[in-house]
Amino acid sequence: MEDQVIKNTVHDYFAGRATPLQKKVIEDWLKDAGNHEQYYQWLHEWELNHLQGRASWEDAFQRTQQMLHQEPEPESILQTDDTPTRWWNRTSIRLIAAVLVVAFLGVSFPAIRNLIYYQTSETGYGETRKISFEDGSSVTLNANSSLRYPRFGFGEGTRRVELRGEADFQIEHTPQHQPFIVSIPSGLEVNVLGTQFTVFARSRRSQVTLRSGKVALQMKQAPQASPLVMKPGDLVVMNPSGKLSRSHTAHPEQYASWKDHHLTLNRTSLRELASILEETYGFEVEINDPELASRTATGLLPAENPEATLELIAELFAINFTRHDNRIVFKD
Amino acid sequence: MGLVEKLSSSETSLREERLQPEPSKVIDNEHFIRAAFAESTGKGFEALFRLYYQPLFSHALRFVYTREKAEDIVCDVFHDFWKSNTYDSMQGTFRSYLYAAVRNRAYTYVRYELKEEKNTTSPESSEHLSEANNPESLIEYDELYQRIDQAILQLPAQCQRVFMLSRFEGKKNKEIATELNLSLKTVEAHMAKALSQLRKAILTITILLQWFS
Repeated sequence: MEDQVIKNTVHDYFAGRATPLQKKVIEDWLKDAGNHEQYYQWLHEWELNHLQGRASWEDAFQRTQQMLHQEPEPESILQTDDTPTRWWNRTSIRLIAAVLVVAFLGVSFPAIRNLIYYQTSETGYGETRKISFEDGSSVTLNANSSLRYPRFGFGEGTRRVELRGEADFQIEHTPQHQPFIVSIPSGLEVNVLGTQFTVFARSRRSQVTLRSGKVALQMKQAPQASPLVMKPGDLVVMNPSGKLSRSHTAHPEQYASWKDHHLTLNRTSLRELASILEETYGFEVEINDPELASRTATGLLPAENPEATLELIAELFAINFTRHDNRIVFKD
Repeated sequence: MGLVEKLSSSETSLREERLQPEPSKVIDNEHFIRAAFAESTGKGFEALFRLYYQPLFSHALRFVYTREKAEDIVCDVFHDFWKSNTYDSMQGTFRSYLYAAVRNRAYTYVRYELKEEKNTTSPESSEHLSEANNPESLIEYDELYQRIDQAILQLPAQCQRVFMLSRFEGKKNKEIATELNLSLKTVEAHMAKALSQLRKAILTITILLQWFS
């Protein structure tokens, strides 16, 4: 069998969609141990494209390093069960140990200090959540997004948060003029004094839309470069290669319409909608015709729940769709 | 039909095509990991975590359906790997090793966790990866996580919600009851049902395997 055919079959198979015959083919293919590297390579690719949840490798790395550095008896930490008989399971000892460890780590390692001082709020597919801060600012997270922020308030200095996914910000100006900085995985930083704006930070693109006030964009890696200052209505997109492009929109609020459970379409192609459905609801969307994928629509689409949204999209584009669990196929 | 509201707008569409997936070939992209290891073990592991932690975590999640447990499993695998010093004498890629180890551990854990009487055997993850890499085991692992997924998808909506709140967000039954406006009894019943469905899914695969082997 040709490589590409096998690859597609294996990917289908990972997704649980292979027929018994295809499974047999794969099992035979796997009998050749020389194919195992390929198998894991494809599993890795497939998993990267279908992540079930986000996790911070930095935290895990720190945690593993800690485990290695401070284990007198390696066995105890490796236990995956919770047998109540272990000495360290007694609440008081664990509490004391925890306090000591936290104090020690907090003092010794800045990275661990971050782990203690910061918390992360995460939304699942189809979920939005509003996070309010003491200073009166608030952030609304769209689905499948996460925000990392200080556990015990911002303190006196810069107010700093990290975003993955999509969020709308309403930032209050503080009497001390504390800057508010949103950093996103692509390295872009949004520097704010008090304003309303929407940030989109997913793998396919990074984007900032400003509704009111003023923000400055800066690359984390290039703090000395002069920042790009945005005016209300500005929309700045950073493509995966790191190039910024600015344009103007008359309706910046549309980019936060998901807050009111709406999707704003503006000559939006079905292909883009498919990406939005994947990001927001965790669907796997297929469009079986390139012409269909480039069809566009304009309008305001209520998006209360995934089922109704799908129906409405089909109606709007006058097409059909089939759904098996999380897999959607749009067809003419 | 009122659905389409014309929006006045002069902006140009800025959305881009989605990135094409990479071409399929076994590329040995682990050169830089080995280079990092040559520099220091710490650097090597940092590179490994950076590249593989997130997808491995995601993969473990398919089996165990609990964030903490998935994190534990992947960290434990990295931890043992680090301690074992075998990273110096790798045959094959780090990728294969890590995926095989995580799957093995997750699989062992799930089978243990969903056994009726938990106390009889403790989870002993046999790290015999050569065994874990025979075609039957590879397929057995894949079928296990797929079945778990199916079992959860097929739960009634409310039951699925309760299960996800409990497992994914680590909420207590009481908190779930308050949040969903249900009685504690109902929440407990939903959890019991979800777990029994999962058990059934795992039992089925065990029987199937015995049948064919």
